Amino acid sequence: MTVVGGSGLPHDAGHRDALHHRDRLRRKITEQLKARIGEEDIIASGPEKRVRVPVSGTRSWRFILDRGSEEGVAQGDGDPGDVLGPPGDGPQRGEAGTEPGEELYEVWLDMDDIEELLFSELQLPRLKPKATADAQATEAVFDDIARKGPRIDKKETLRQNLVRNAKRGRARLGSIESGDVRYLSYRERPLPRHKAVVFLAMDVSGSMDVSRKRMARLFFYWCVQFLHRRYDQTEIVFVAHTTEAREVTEHEFFHRAESGGTRVSSAFELIDREQPDRYPESDWNVYVLHVSDGDNFTADNQRTLGLIARLAERCSLVGYLQVGESGFTTSRSLLPFFEEAAPVDGFVFAAAEDDRELWPALKRFFAKDSVEEAVR
Amino acid sequence: MSDYALEDLQAVDERCRTIVTGELGFEAPDVVYHLVPAEEVYYAAANGLPARYSSARWGARFDAMYGRYRRGEERIYELIFNTRPVHAYLMEGNSLVGQTLVIAHCLGHGYVFEHNAWLGAVDRQIMPRVLSAAHRISDYMAQHGRERVEGLLDACHAVAVHQPQAQLIRKAGTSEPEHRPAEYDALFPEEVEAERRRIAEERDALRRRFPREPEQDLLGFVERHARALADWERDVISIVRSEQGYFLPQMRTKILNEGAAVLVHQEVCQRLFLPTNQYWEYEQLNAGVVQPHPGPVNPYNLGIALLREVMRIATEPDDEDRERWGWAGEADPFERVRTVLRSYDDEALVREFLTPRVCERCRLFAYERLQRDPRRIRVSSREADDVRAALVAQVSTSGIPRVEIVDADFGRRGELLLDHRHEGVGLDPEYARGTLVELARLWGKRCVARTIQGDDAQRRMWFAGSPDGSSEQGFGEPR
Repeated sequence: MTVVGGSGLPHDAGHRDALHHRDRLRRKITEQLKARIGEEDIIASGPEKRVRVPVSGTRSWRFILDRGSEEGVAQGDGDPGDVLGPPGDGPQRGEAGTEPGEELYEVWLDMDDIEELLFSELQLPRLKPKATADAQATEAVFDDIARKGPRIDKKETLRQNLVRNAKRGRARLGSIESGDVRYLSYRERPLPRHKAVVFLAMDVSGSMDVSRKRMARLFFYWCVQFLHRRYDQTEIVFVAHTTEAREVTEHEFFHRAESGGTRVSSAFELIDREQPDRYPESDWNVYVLHVSDGDNFTADNQRTLGLIARLAERCSLVGYLQVGESGFTTSRSLLPFFEEAAPVDGFVFAAAEDDRELWPALKRFFAKDSVEEAVR
Repeated sequence: MSDYALEDLQAVDERCRTIVTGELGFEAPDVVYHLVPAEEVYYAAANGLPARYSSARWGARFDAMYGRYRRGEERIYELIFNTRPVHAYLMEGNSLVGQTLVIAHCLGHGYVFEHNAWLGAVDRQIMPRVLSAAHRISDYMAQHGRERVEGLLDACHAVAVHQPQAQLIRKAGTSEPEHRPAEYDALFPEEVEAERRRIAEERDALRRRFPREPEQDLLGFVERHARALADWERDVISIVRSEQGYFLPQMRTKILNEGAAVLVHQEVCQRLFLPTNQYWEYEQLNAGVVQPHPGPVNPYNLGIALLREVMRIATEPDDEDRERWGWAGEADPFERVRTVLRSYDDEALVREFLTPRVCERCRLFAYERLQRDPRRIRVSSREADDVRAALVAQVSTSGIPRVEIVDADFGRRGELLLDHRHEGVGLDPEYARGTLVELARLWGKRCVARTIQGDDAQRRMWFAGSPDGSSEQGFGEPR
């Protein structure tokens, strides 16, 4: 009866809803990632490998008949008894859509994506400008104008042309001559390099069993990744302690088990001794992270807190994470002691009983809100 | 891009309409055609109606469909809406021959929309409601946050299809049991008294039951009786429910409707006397629509085969056909098809006209899924009787399991108890649990569904979902 051009509706509504969909998807992926940072295969995949993240919860739920015992009718060849592949790959036009699954997303992410998604929620606490910047690094900044060069500055060229015409009494653009042409030029500017040093200290006494060490390792891994991403240069010092502390290699740090008692203050003593000469806080952003099961020599608790307070004055962050089930927590445990003591500026502590609590712990150390409040 | 103007399309519509009404005898309603860009066609296809409320769900579908179009894997030619007047989208950039086929195709749909009893039962003035609903939902998103409204929409979409369809036959309500006095009551006073008590108890139990009758309208029931919903939330539920009502009759007449549209475009294009190159182009496009694919049944292919079978019976019946259909051999084929289009749905069409001939022509077979690998199927039969029974089961429910609310105070905890009206196959556990969680978010309390696993009546199963997102399942009676 009537044919009209267009529908009077916006053309881009589909794209807008698609953006909302992708936005939701992205948030769901991030949620899934947070739950999975305690899984080693994400880390084990290495920086260049990609990780498969199945995103559940994006499915459109509805009642459907049991996929395992469904009967139906399809088109094609085959004699009774023959086994055929799936009737059609993917959704077909006109299908009622009883085939579920097309809405389940599996996203492949590389470490960059993962860190981008996760670390956007984290922030460095107490960022201090460092006095000496490494002057060797420079950066080219195109903010100068020259009569020669590779890149024409169009705006400046037009301005020069307009000025020249105006001087001749006709203030308009036109007949550009070689004398009008201006080029962009660059200047070398020293680029400040931000350096960070992280002291990772761990209790390696007998009570730190395999699963606790694993959690410690995961926690350290994400801390270091985060710091690494935020600073041009990140150095890591591994400190292992029982009743005595010593600097160790990364391999020793994670793989050697020792027996004996625990004196947490020994680790902080070592850091307190080493840091000022090797990594003066005037040049370095200093982070101290300590992980233990909290089982400390009681008389040592007060001394530990004193050292922490001293370090916190010079460091960007001093963190303490207690890992493992708190079922064994005794009166000697460090966490309740810290909780009862007067708060120390710049010192943050947290507990993680299992893998799922690693992300909340990370957020506590590096979160935009909580740390800012905790240290101020 | 295209070498035709709106007036050319107008002229095509007039020519097609003359043939449809004059030569085929189909009175088609007025159709308003909109020539729109691909993005718009795909967006309306993704959410089923133009200008519907915004939702990430449509966005997901749009992304998938429009992506297939851009990669050249799929092309929609037309979209038609069951409104008054009927509106149809033609896609910009299609050739004039393509648009001709589409216009003729739409006239076939238009006839079915106008005259089919099931499709006539919907509100054809739905567009003003759709627009107003879109505005309200957009307001709610501004007020309460987009994510919150999307979450509510997710929950509504999960159960929206569970509502009673337009019924041509009304079912009588169950009557209360009552004791009828009989002649010899006085001889057995004790027995009569016991019987009286038993019936009174039964009646009281029935009166306490809420809902009194199993309720098929899940969203409607939740909207009326859920306790913890704000007004705007009830409004969202009612929007999703009523818009879904528009789609249900189309789901149950898919094969019939597409068959009619194909029949009309084939008969019309046959009578247009197109030049050879154009006719060739038409045949190619037509083949793309009706071609059978190995896999799920192509409703266009089956629909046209069934309607052509009706026409064959009307003109060239064999002896068996004559025995079965009184009108065989003596009817105007188009008149016979119109009779079918007016009062049948897919179930009735398949039940009556899926003959061995159609079965063979469309290469249909019945299958069952392999338990150990649900992606694979085993051909169970190619006999027309078996195929028909399986297809009737498939189309009679449009693939929607029948689920009804039987108790709104389950366990005296205010939980919702649902029964799956089992027809040989149980509910999919994963999806049942996910859906019950969504329903529980609307109801505010745990929701439980009873079913039977497989076809073994001994294996009673239940699933449950709670508003906090947890779900469970078990055998026997639910807890």
